[in-house]
Amino acid sequence: MSGSARLKWAVCASAIALTATACGGGGGGGGGANGIVRASWGDPQHPLEPANTNEVQGGKVLDMVFRGLKKYDPKTGAAQNWIADSISTSDQQNFTVKLKPGWKFSNGEPVTAHSFVDAWNYGALVTNKQLNSSFFSYIDGYGQVHPGSGNPTAQAMSGLVVKDDQTFTVKLSQKFSTWPDTLGYSAFYPLPRTFFTDHAGWLQKPVGDGPYAIDSYTKGSIMRLRKWDGYTGDDKAKNGGVDLRVYTDSNTAYTDLQAGNIDLVDDIPATQLRNVKRDLGPRYINQPAGIIQTIAFPMYDPRWNGTSMQKVRQGISMAIDRASITSKIFLNTRTPATDWTSPVLGDKGGYKAGLCGGVCTYSPSQAKKLIQEGGGLPGGQMKIGYNADTGSHKEWVDAVCNSINNSLGNDRACVGAPVGTFADFRNQITSKSETNPFRAGWQMDYPLIQDFLQPLYYTGGSSNDSHWSNADFDKLVDQANAESDSAKAVGDFQDAEKILAQQVPAIPLWYQNGNAGYSSNISNVALNQFSVPVYNDITVG
Amino acid sequence: MPEPLTPPNGRTASEAIGNAGAGGTMDFAASEAVSIGLATAPTARARSLWSDAWHDLRRNPVFIVSALLIVFLVVIAIWPQLIATGNPLACDINKSLLGPAPGHPFGFDTQGCDVYTRTVYGARASVTVGVCATAGAALLGGVLGGFAGFFGGWWDALLSRVSDIFFGIPIILGGLVFLSVVTNATVWPVVGFIVLLGWPQIARIARGAVITAKQNDYVQAARALGAGPIRMLLRHIAPNAVAPVIVVATIALGTYISLEATLSFLGVGLKPPTVSWGIDISSASTQIRNAPHMLLWPAAALSVTVLAFIMLGDAVRDALDPKLR
Repeated sequence: MSGSARLKWAVCASAIALTATACGGGGGGGGGANGIVRASWGDPQHPLEPANTNEVQGGKVLDMVFRGLKKYDPKTGAAQNWIADSISTSDQQNFTVKLKPGWKFSNGEPVTAHSFVDAWNYGALVTNKQLNSSFFSYIDGYGQVHPGSGNPTAQAMSGLVVKDDQTFTVKLSQKFSTWPDTLGYSAFYPLPRTFFTDHAGWLQKPVGDGPYAIDSYTKGSIMRLRKWDGYTGDDKAKNGGVDLRVYTDSNTAYTDLQAGNIDLVDDIPATQLRNVKRDLGPRYINQPAGIIQTIAFPMYDPRWNGTSMQKVRQGISMAIDRASITSKIFLNTRTPATDWTSPVLGDKGGYKAGLCGGVCTYSPSQAKKLIQEGGGLPGGQMKIGYNADTGSHKEWVDAVCNSINNSLGNDRACVGAPVGTFADFRNQITSKSETNPFRAGWQMDYPLIQDFLQPLYYTGGSSNDSHWSNADFDKLVDQANAESDSAKAVGDFQDAEKILAQQVPAIPLWYQNGNAGYSSNISNVALNQFSVPVYNDITVG
Repeated sequence: MPEPLTPPNGRTASEAIGNAGAGGTMDFAASEAVSIGLATAPTARARSLWSDAWHDLRRNPVFIVSALLIVFLVVIAIWPQLIATGNPLACDINKSLLGPAPGHPFGFDTQGCDVYTRTVYGARASVTVGVCATAGAALLGGVLGGFAGFFGGWWDALLSRVSDIFFGIPIILGGLVFLSVVTNATVWPVVGFIVLLGWPQIARIARGAVITAKQNDYVQAARALGAGPIRMLLRHIAPNAVAPVIVVATIALGTYISLEATLSFLGVGLKPPTVSWGIDISSASTQIRNAPHMLLWPAAALSVTVLAFIMLGDAVRDALDPKLR
């Protein structure tokens, strides 16, 4: 082993000396088309099954390893056909999907209509316990494979029919005009046969059809992704691969970037925002992204769900001085939120400044009054749960708590409750063992207003962490999805959003910019609309 | 990040064991002999070990300085409002990271809290943890170690092995494991943890001191005169074995305070809203480039406090153990 390693290094050295070209695979040595990008990362919550990953870190990898029917343009966010040749419908309910020929998985298997239909049926089947299963809930037959309780009465959704290797049809249970635009999300990625025949082996080393293939993964340390040479799509990797290094503290990642130990950090800690321009100059990226930060209430906990608690929730929202916190803690890399969506949607897409109204306006006296009328904070004190490893949450949670304390005139009313890692934090929430209000950031899956509302607040939504349920809200969302006219659909969604402004299952805090910094070792770095780096475009050297 | 704090911690603790352990027990018999010898001199009234030590201490500038500092610390730990009128939990985000201002001599931290007020109030947590943990560890370790030394046999073997086990637990790792599951925001879990890991050190010293004292002639004489074990232990052995325990405990007090700060720095010790230097140092460490004053004051207060207690321990050891001079 050591002998061969030494030989490799020797070859590298001579190659660089002779031609100054790259020597990939040598742990980041060399540049050019084979250079390795070293980027910061955090462990994903679950093994990387597409339909079981609803958090950002796992999603990053899926987006590198997989390609789906659609892809969102990195600059505009517009959904464009990728593996799909066409997705056609005449009635907004029955769709015919035709695939482009020639797509393959990195193990050589072709991507066919079966790859999609089998993957979606797997994701929807209740016994597979996939977190994103509700993304399939509009496909006809979902109720049979994913009943609210009890065993499934079918193994596959009747709405999915394979016509031939390149064609399948989808029947939705109701009209849903923008449904094709959701198909770029990772839950809809295709899966190879090996996923089903050798599941454990696949989880060890997921195989996809994207520009990168997973080389190795050591939990808590590093995931090595390497360029897949057989990839035929237009967005081939312009580097030799990406090493995703796990950091449990974003400050450490930032100092490592300055020390030249990594090339790319996509989470600039708040405490460094004052220095980042001086440190990195033009190698600092700060741009709007489809991310909103909220504080969600555990509506499954009776302490927070009583009828009078609505006033308390409204009051807490009004006790938060968003403007001061975004300017002092985040140095204006966040914008105070006044609705539950994101400005990147644009006014036509459904963003509406001020929709939240007085509930999102800082008013300490009104806040105190409402909280008192609602019977006060449960137990006289509230905690805000957050993960301590990413996103500089401690700084803003402490600031939010101070703001609430100041409004209530009680310096012990609110206190932060940190959880060590993102994965642990998500586990506490998905298992409903979090009994405090908790921070809930939402990075959109696709640039539609539907994605800011339905997964988060619809009854049984895939990321409805609050487990809030409201029949009127659900009805308006269903109605919006059925509209064939997009302006009408947006109007219905905004009507649904107004219910959120009354009930406040989650407090909107601020819209987040994507912040990233990179070393002089790499170039052509950009963030997409989801604030995820466009890894395949990065060049090394 | 924990590195700057851990080594001094570990080192001082082990030094304390080494010095006081070997020196304290062995030389104690010698000093006893000296005072017995002096007692035959006709001139002065015989001075006990304690009055002798007090006589020395009063003339030791190290003792005077550290004692004054400690008295000051204890006073502001009990009545912080004597010198800080503000509220350590009242923070105004709009003053985030501002420098010194009238009425706020140390400036403001990230959250816009007054650094001066927080530094003053931080003394309470540190002193409480230090004093309570030391008292607990000295009591538990002294009693268990004393019994082990006096009764010997299986009781001694058992206690020595148990204390070996506790010695084997790395203190920072143990803190991370035990305290990370605690959600209670008071000082007591931290005190309990330090007592749990601190008592074996004192038990070893106490055991050695008791074994040495047990062999003295006056103990044999008491035994010959028919004294029971309890009477011997309380009247003759304990007063002559307690000095080394006091020395080690005083030095340990300083290290316990820095241990509390270390654990709080790592996020497992004291938890907000408790005001602690460790917590403040932790949140200041990431802002050192923007607001060094945030780190400077709590760190200075912590250093001075630890130094004061360790200096006091040194002075007491010198006084009780003249041979070391």
